[in-house]
Amino acid sequence: MSDAWVIPLLPVAGFVLLLLFSPWLPRKGDWLAIGLMAASFVLACLVAADLADAIGEAGVGSFAGISESREWFNVEGYIEIRMGTYVDQITVVMLFVVSFIALLVMIYSTGYMRGDRRYGWFYSIISLFTASMLTLVVADNLLLLYFAWELVGLCSMLLIGHYNDKQSAAEAAKKAFITTRVGDVGLLIGIIILFTQTGTFNIGEILRAAEEGEIAREWLTAAAVCVFAGAVGKSAQFPLHVWLPDAMEGPTPVSALIHAATMVVAGVYLVARMLPLFEVVRGMPELITALGLTTAVLSALMGLAQRDIKRVVAYSTLNSLGLMFVALGSGAVGAAMLYLFAHAFFKALLFLACGSVIHATEEQEVDKLGGLWSKMPITAPMFIVGALAMAGLIPLSGFWAKDEILVGIRHGHLNDIVAITVFATLPITSLYMVRLVMLTFFGEPKDQHVHEHAHESEASMSWPLMLLGALAAVAGFVVFEGVGEALGFHSGWLGFVYNLAEGPEEFHVNWGISILSVVLVSAGLVAGLWIWAGKAEPARRAAAFSPFLYRMFLNRFYIDEVYQAAVDYFVLAAGRVVAWFDRSIVNDTGVNGAGETAWYAGWLGKFAQTGKLPNYALAIVVGVIVMAIVAFGYRT
Amino acid sequence: MESVTQEIPLEHFLMLSFILFTIGVYGVLARRNAVIVLMSVELMLNAVSINMVAFAVYTAPSLFAGIIFAIFIIAVAAAEVGLALAVILRLFRNRGTANIDEVDTLKW
Repeated sequence: MSDAWVIPLLPVAGFVLLLLFSPWLPRKGDWLAIGLMAASFVLACLVAADLADAIGEAGVGSFAGISESREWFNVEGYIEIRMGTYVDQITVVMLFVVSFIALLVMIYSTGYMRGDRRYGWFYSIISLFTASMLTLVVADNLLLLYFAWELVGLCSMLLIGHYNDKQSAAEAAKKAFITTRVGDVGLLIGIIILFTQTGTFNIGEILRAAEEGEIAREWLTAAAVCVFAGAVGKSAQFPLHVWLPDAMEGPTPVSALIHAATMVVAGVYLVARMLPLFEVVRGMPELITALGLTTAVLSALMGLAQRDIKRVVAYSTLNSLGLMFVALGSGAVGAAMLYLFAHAFFKALLFLACGSVIHATEEQEVDKLGGLWSKMPITAPMFIVGALAMAGLIPLSGFWAKDEILVGIRHGHLNDIVAITVFATLPITSLYMVRLVMLTFFGEPKDQHVHEHAHESEASMSWPLMLLGALAAVAGFVVFEGVGEALGFHSGWLGFVYNLAEGPEEFHVNWGISILSVVLVSAGLVAGLWIWAGKAEPARRAAAFSPFLYRMFLNRFYIDEVYQAAVDYFVLAAGRVVAWFDRSIVNDTGVNGAGETAWYAGWLGKFAQTGKLPNYALAIVVGVIVMAIVAFGYRT
Repeated sequence: MESVTQEIPLEHFLMLSFILFTIGVYGVLARRNAVIVLMSVELMLNAVSINMVAFAVYTAPSLFAGIIFAIFIIAVAAAEVGLALAVILRLFRNRGTANIDEVDTLKW
């Protein structure tokens, strides 16, 4: 258990070694990064096993996590900051998911990224990316968490902009960095407020202080909102969601990593970790739920009309993240973490399958794909498994996770509108997932040339796909107590991961909700099959029926345009004013003005230099006489 | 020595010194021939020497500081004359004139 700090350190070693030596290593050192990542994954599993044992000894309900820390720096009598690790059930889930997905993505990338101009750099940064995420989840204090948080943001920017000779990729990287930064500043302010109020960065102590009411109410509210802003930025919740679809400019394995493991779930983790703090602030759970719900609905609608297959999957991630936030807002930590766990598998699967399609066809517009079922015998079924899990069809993992969230919403003290809205998104989700499958793998090939050259991907890419496909199918069964015990949890998922305030729960199937969700999802699936079968005539008619709605969906409700306008008309306008002040006042008047004044004074003064000896002599004589008079005047 | 200081008051020497110095200043300011200007400068130096010797004799006869100063001035003036004459000679060789009004290239 005390080895938890080694887990992030291994990929850090990979980062440093590859950064320094990758040009001289065979295969640019990808084996080194993969090996270290695998070691990290094994360690994460060992830590999980240790934790399960510790829980067994302490008893399920009374276990409170294991923390270990040592002094970081100490100013006698003023401040002592300790740095260390904190491992509990949430940490273990995150450790497992992050290291596992990162490992698979790295293996997959050996095929996908082969021959890339910056292959070694890619592996180096992806190691750092994973390491920072692992640090983030084991950190026991907010300062260390914030460092890792920023590193995650930096690495995501570097990886999204991996094809840095492409203008759109560079801009997407910039957009991701700046948008998440808006939230990050909030997180930093929140951390500072919490530190000034409690005198510690330790998460456990801060949560205890918040629960016992030791923090003044207004400061607590401010801190909660600020910290949540960080999570909103990182997890791409409305209104800071705009960076996530653009992040598709990065290589596809990076998208998989960002969406499934290392980046967007950081916000979910942060909210889950700080939930006791949020719950004591009035209105905060409602705010979390509201933002999550808005994100889920908007992204589901936007996903309906997108043409880029990766973008559709990206909108489905927004949809899932929205659901997780809704679950957290209603206090269902176990359900949110279960969804995160299942989501990691099926979302990584979807992205890696997308990558496989893109790799095979070098196209990612659905307008140019189609009929790939026969050409890609592994990718196509795996993609369909992922899509159905995303849609939440029984008995795939997405179904169990989504149902737990629905149960959590019903148990929470939230308005019924929340539950109804979530139910309403279910058929839309399945609709756009079916659309994607139909347009990519079935129907007539829209571009004969692309279709002829398509081929199944190599083993290094298809094996991770199959593994993830299997997991995406069965991962949901961990909710059952028997399955949990077989894996060493001592009980089912909800007995393992639970909201500390409410304690572990028993899992039981809520028939009403299950049947309703299955009906809704199936309705979406059937409708999708009918709409996009063959030449997709109904889809065309639907788009023609309401061109306005179609344009709204396609153009993402013009939110990006509104932001762009805000940047153009406010930020850039303010920038122009400042630039004008700098140029004309500071530079022209201040700097150049001083120089020109000195020059002019010199130009005037030079005429005193006549070159005639008597003039100088006269000046000397007059000067001496004046000085003599002055001196005489002083004496008397 | 004693008789001189009793018969002639100090003011006479100072007046002589002042007249000499003024003549020198006038020469430097008004004359255009470099050699004359040089001579005027020497006059000013001598005026100062007289001043110093006079004060030395009248106010502190036991100290020789003023007299020694005068001797230094004479020595420095001699060296200076040698230097200045050389400069004027070179000037005349180069420019064909010793009129300082015509030598005014050292300006803006």
